[in-house]
Amino acid sequence: MEISLAPEIIFHIGSFPVTNSLLMTLILSAIIILTSLNLRNKLKLVPKGFQNIFEYVMEAFLDLIDSVTQNREQTRKFFPLVVTIFLFVILSNWIELVPGLGTIGINETHHGKTILVPFIRSASADLNMTLAIALISVFTIQFMGIAAIGAARYAGKFFVNPLRKPYFIGTFVGILELISEVAKIISFSFRLFGNIFAGEVLLIVMLNLVPYFVPLPFLFLELFVGFVQALVFAMLTLVFLKMAVTAHEH
Amino acid sequence: MELLDNLGIDGRLLLAQLINFVILLAVLYKFAYGPVLKILEERTKKIENGLKDAEESHKKLAEISEKEAAVLVEARKNAQQIIKKSEEAAVKNAEEIIVLAKDQSIKMLEQAKKQIEQEKEKILAEVKTEVAELIMVATGKIIDEKLDSEKDRDLINRSIK
Repeated sequence: MEISLAPEIIFHIGSFPVTNSLLMTLILSAIIILTSLNLRNKLKLVPKGFQNIFEYVMEAFLDLIDSVTQNREQTRKFFPLVVTIFLFVILSNWIELVPGLGTIGINETHHGKTILVPFIRSASADLNMTLAIALISVFTIQFMGIAAIGAARYAGKFFVNPLRKPYFIGTFVGILELISEVAKIISFSFRLFGNIFAGEVLLIVMLNLVPYFVPLPFLFLELFVGFVQALVFAMLTLVFLKMAVTAHEH
Repeated sequence: MELLDNLGIDGRLLLAQLINFVILLAVLYKFAYGPVLKILEERTKKIENGLKDAEESHKKLAEISEKEAAVLVEARKNAQQIIKKSEEAAVKNAEEIIVLAKDQSIKMLEQAKKQIEQEKEKILAEVKTEVAELIMVATGKIIDEKLDSEKDRDLINRSIK
């Protein structure tokens, strides 16, 4: 049993490495896109079937975001990013629950050893994916902050004149805030990656130890973890967005 | 850089994931959120309008029933007035009729009395003439002597009185 921190490469297109998690990401994206196209075509004023579920989720998110922003206009602005993050991350997380995790794949020889390269790997168990979303999230936060309160005032959150009250403390806090903006990228990406990667390892180990029944509770656990992590990612993005568009009070 | 390699971070993969997510965001925004949010709003508006309409029609209904009640009360009042008036008129009529009838009956009675009186007189006169004639015949026969009829009548008339 070989568990790699990095996603395994299945094949190359030119020099571009196609990893199992990228493959999963693409399949997942295709499913999401097809579903949304299908939804668009069947949209009716009197909802039916899947539209009901989707609308329910949308309304729940609208209320949730409203409760954070207290402002319908901001809710409209934040809604697409927050909900997309939630949907994409939760579905990526739940890839690990698909049967065949860590078992179906191709045998490859590396350094004289034969190892199994599995096809199924949760997209969230790949730092490239979590980092990509974290980058988008943090950059959007900066962008929205600047757009909402202006570049000068937004910069004023981080660069504080040391001669103003409370003097150097303010400056120091500003620098800390600047660092925390960078730290957000790391905390976002590693939190999600760590949770889902650990979950995958746990499931693979359990499957290898006792193939029947014993992995079941862990599957439920991972179902829950996947939901919570997606919610945490989306909600933190939302809260940071709200903080960014709110001007500092002096 | 070795750290990034060990973690499996690859610039090309990262870029691929970035692009993928942006595409996903765009597609979802265009085909899912936009239309669904629009439809949600539309429905909210429709329901609000429907509720408003219902409230308005309720109000109108209440107004109408109020009006109806008022009209009914008015109508009842009118009807009662009419009945009262007609009753009064009827009573008056009846009294008039009774008075008229009484008058008439009194008149008729009087007329009848008069007629009876006249008849009586007439009959009496007739009887008198008849009796006179009878007596005349009888006395003529008895006396067998015929006076001239004028003297005779005078005589009888005097004797009857």
